[in-house]
Formats: sequence, C-alpha cells, structure tokens
Amino acid sequence: MSVTARIAIGWLYLVLCGCMAPEGYEPHVPEGDPRQGREVLAELECGVCHVIPGVPGARGRVGPALADYKRNVYIAGRYPNDPDILTRFVRDAPSMSPDTAMPAIEMSEAQARDIAAYLYSL
Amino acid sequence: MPSWIHKPSWVHKPTRKIVLLVTGAIALVLFGALGAAVVLLSGAYSTAATTQHFKITHRLLDAGLRYSVRASASDIQAPILDEPHKYEQGAACYRLHCAQCHGAPGIAPDEEGRGMLPIASNLAQSAREWPAEWLYYVTKKGVRMSGMPAWEFRMSEESLWSTVAFLTRLPSLTRAEYAQLSQYSAQLECESAEGAEMQASEDRTKIVFRQYACHSCHRIEGVVGPKSYVGPALVEWSHRKYLAGTLPNNEENLVRFILDPQAVRPHSLMPKLEVAPAHARQMARYLLELE
Repeated sequence: MSVTARIAIGWLYLVLCGCMAPEGYEPHVPEGDPRQGREVLAELECGVCHVIPGVPGARGRVGPALADYKRNVYIAGRYPNDPDILTRFVRDAPSMSPDTAMPAIEMSEAQARDIAAYLYSL
Repeated sequence: MPSWIHKPSWVHKPTRKIVLLVTGAIALVLFGALGAAVVLLSGAYSTAATTQHFKITHRLLDAGLRYSVRASASDIQAPILDEPHKYEQGAACYRLHCAQCHGAPGIAPDEEGRGMLPIASNLAQSAREWPAEWLYYVTKKGVRMSGMPAWEFRMSEESLWSTVAFLTRLPSLTRAEYAQLSQYSAQLECESAEGAEMQASEDRTKIVFRQYACHSCHRIEGVVGPKSYVGPALVEWSHRKYLAGTLPNNEENLVRFILDPQAVRPHSLMPKLEVAPAHARQMARYLLELE
C-alpha cells in the first residue's frame, strides 16, 4: 500500500472515530493504580491462564481472554461486572463462584484494586 | 454509416469521451458517498419508530418484498390445505404466535405489535392477495429488518403448513367464527420445531446461532452481529480448556451446557433457550472447529 493510501485511510479513520458517539460506561476503581496493576498481574503470573494485553507472555488459554474487560457485562457468568465485585473476585474467585476453575490467589486488597484498575484500562 | 447522418465531433475522439464519462461517474459516486457520510455522521437520519419512511420508499420496499418472495417461493408446491384438522391446528399456531403482532378478525394486535415500524401486515388481506406458497415462504423464513421472525426454527414443517392453511381461511372468517375456531383450537398444540429436519452446513450453522439469538450476548467468530459483551466471546474456541468456568471443553459438555445451562451451573446467567438437540450439536461442532 502506498504512503498516500495509508495517510488517506488513517485520516478517514480519525474523522470517522472522531465523529462516533462514545461507547459510554467507564468503570472506575477508587485508589486503583493501573500501572501497578500490570506489574502485579505479571508478578502473580495471571498470564498462565489468561490472555492479558500489555502483560508480557500473558497468553494462557485456560480462562477467558481479558481484552476489552471493561465492556464485559458479567463476571464469571453470574455477577455484574462492577469494580467492587471484580476487586473481590480476582483475590478469591472460589468463595464467590465455587464451581470456577480459577483459584484463590494471595494478594493484598490494594493489589486487587490495582489489578481491577488495569483490567478496566484495557 | 450513411453519409446523411451528421457525425458529432466526439465520434472522432472516442478516448476523450470515455475519459470524460468515467471521470463523471467517479465524481458522482464520490459525491454521493460524501453526502451519505454527512447524513450518517451528523445524526440527521432518524432511527425512531415514529418516523415513517417516505411514501415512495415504503412503496419501493413493499414491491421489493413481493418480487423477492415471488422469486424465492417459485419452487415451493403447497400441499392440500383445505382440511379441517390442518386449519384447526393452524388456528392454534396463529393464536399462540401470530395474533400478537398481526391481530385477528375483530381483535387488535397486542401492545408490542401496535407501534412497530413497519407495521405487521393484516394477514386477512395478505391471504386474499398472496398465493399459499408465498405465505408459507414468509412464515418460514421471516422478513429481514421488519421484526418478522423465521418460524422454521420454532414450528415444525407440518405446523408451518397448518398455519398457512389457517391463513387461507382467514379472509372469510367473521369475528364470531374466528372466536369460535380460536376457542376450539385452544386445546390443540402448535408443534415446535424440535423434530424439524436439520441440514448441517457451515452457513446453516451460522443461521442456527442467529435463530436462537446467541449473538445478542456472544460475539461468535464468523457470525455477523452486535458487538456484545454480555457472554464470553466465542472465538478461537478450540483453544479453550474449560467452558462455563469449570467443565472440560469438549463436544459432549458443550451440548449439555447449551441445552440446559442451569443443570451444569445453577447460577449461570445464560438462559435455557429450548435449543433442539440436533441444533446444539451443530453449534458445539462449529465452535470446536474454531482455531
């Protein structure tokens, strides 16, 4: 593709997206730090089971891919996807959904908030 | 060319004429596309169900429907329909599935049916004017962008024809006769599509997904639909280890879950969709082939 064509397409894309109505809901995790969250996700090796954009090596296929997470309506097929619930779920999934394959993972409340904040930033 | 015909000057320069025509055509298309983009992006096009089409648009769409149905129904041959057991069973189907939007002699459509755009046809008139084969085709396949569903996924083949048998009688029924027939048919069942013949093909499977409304919650690879994030995306599905959070991902478990999600996971928000077992298997196979 020629440079001109690329520029034209890029320009058109910008114009169209610029005019698009916004998608709406942006969940916000109070005191959650998305940057920290990304590091915690890498540290705890969440990528063994999940595809997580931005986390190196996170290409697991055991659990669902976590791209576009903020747009998901539900967590684990049974809870509304809301910041408080997600913060609890990432720490202790089995207590909320006993039939899930996701284990409880040791982490602090703050780390859970950071993870939730990062997932919502995707 | 006889000598008395005056040759215009451009005859000698065919290339110039072609260049002019092509440039003009391209300019026209670009201009049209630009106009369409402006209308679309400015939000000027109303999608409200209170904004009717222009009269000419409405007439054109009507005509388009008729030509399309005529062409599609040309190979269909109606069975004998004028038999009491057929139109009586058809009356049961009509009362259960059709009267809500189409109304019936002396009976208005329900709330859901009244404000629709386009409005559902009054079938007493359709049945007067359309041959049985057309009625069958529209009932079976539905009408795109009109709200008319495809009943082949909800009614057996026999019930479809029974419904048409009832429709052919509809124009001749008085209010009292309809009430009587409808009351009598209340004891009859409209047979569901459970036993309907299934042909498995990739295109057919995509239709099956859509006909159970799967794509209203799931993004499904190869199936065009809304960008829905209600349920998990069904892409690259063969790589998934688990389904519904806990079951090993294989054909038998997928079929089980599709047929009765709550039997597998009582709290799952996925509803039971009364999927015919053959359809569930078709879906499972399709998903497990997604690389």
